Amino acid sequence: MPRGIKRPRSGSLLLVMASRGFEDTVLPHLDAAFNYARWLTRSDQDAEDVVQDACVRALRFLPSLREPDARAWFLAIVRNAWYSRIARRAAASEVSSSIPATAEPVDSALDPEDLLSQRQAVAQVRNAIEQLPADFREVIVLREIEGFSYKQIAAVVNIPIGTVMSRLARARERLAAVLKPPLQMEETR
Amino acid sequence: MTCEDVGRALDAYVDEECDRDTAIAIQEHLARCAACLDRLADYERLGRLVRSAVPYYTASEQIRSRVSLAIAESRVRRRILTWAAAAALAIGTGGGLIGVRSMQRAGPNTDMIAEEVVTDHIRSLMADHLFDVRSTDQHTVKPWFLGKLDFSPPVSDLAAIGFPLAGGRLEYVAGRPAAALVYQRQKHTINVLVWPAADNQSSTSVRSLRGFHLEHWVRDGMSFWVVSDLNVAELTGFANALQQ
Repeated sequence: MPRGIKRPRSGSLLLVMASRGFEDTVLPHLDAAFNYARWLTRSDQDAEDVVQDACVRALRFLPSLREPDARAWFLAIVRNAWYSRIARRAAASEVSSSIPATAEPVDSALDPEDLLSQRQAVAQVRNAIEQLPADFREVIVLREIEGFSYKQIAAVVNIPIGTVMSRLARARERLAAVLKPPLQMEETR
Repeated sequence: MTCEDVGRALDAYVDEECDRDTAIAIQEHLARCAACLDRLADYERLGRLVRSAVPYYTASEQIRSRVSLAIAESRVRRRILTWAAAAALAIGTGGGLIGVRSMQRAGPNTDMIAEEVVTDHIRSLMADHLFDVRSTDQHTVKPWFLGKLDFSPPVSDLAAIGFPLAGGRLEYVAGRPAAALVYQRQKHTINVLVWPAADNQSSTSVRSLRGFHLEHWVRDGMSFWVVSDLNVAELTGFANALQQ
């Protein structure tokens, strides 16, 4: 394969560099982008739309990428793509209305036998995270599932590190309150 | 450190985001405070539960191909914009001069197009964007261009003589959309760029540029450019077969 073109000779050769950058820089983080989008949107269909939108934006913004952390940069674009969609849908208000103001405690009438089932615990945890307000949900997902540092989360969500910390603390408080039964189970393991 | 201080810093401590001094202060506190130690255990349990129970959603093949398609389309649009900008610049700065030159040459500047064809060929290999449609079947590749171009490129199957079709993609050459057909010859890739020509017929011209070989002809109102790093003899054989 020919390599090492010495100087850009035309506009399309400049684009060679930009295009190459996209495959190397953005595509390796497609899973992370989809996971984040899926948790933000709580729907496969919406997550796919958001990721596609984010990829096109990333292609456009790639020449201005100065951030060494491409994954955080790309997830920030995913987040912006999602919020643009919400803004477009605001009139229908189908998004905000589906998020309850407070997380509801798990039905305490559940059969203890059922609580012992791992599958049910999984569903409960997922449900508890999905029911968190979006601000809390995303910091939990980025921290616990994506394994991001506070600095990376701050870059994605565009908030100060102190705010990352306080949101995480409040998100965990809520989760701990909602997830008492599975947590007790975890304790016995 | 009081229990309250520890409570405030416990998230950062669990996440290993504390500075050293704070971490040491917390450890000292935990060593003599059972209540805070319990809280720490709760935190760790919650983290374990979340990490073990929660799915990591991965991008499906479907979304991957949707993204490739969207990126390909976006690139074609961007190239059109780049060309429009370049054209505007040319008109703005040296339009008069270029106009005179191209009138003298009476036709498209084939040197410039040859440059562009080579650049497209390199780009298609470097950027890993050889195909928008990947198929060895001419009856898959040809219909794929329907609705994407204002002409229908001729697609031949030359597998029988050792040049299997590999696929096609959209290109933008000489200021207009073109069909790119991709053929393989062992490890070599051959790009065939096709678009409607101003002239009706011309004989085949052969040239080499930056280590690549090009063949160009016009036939039935279509301009053909063949480009590859394949040797001239084999490429000529390929071009002859394509013209039949």
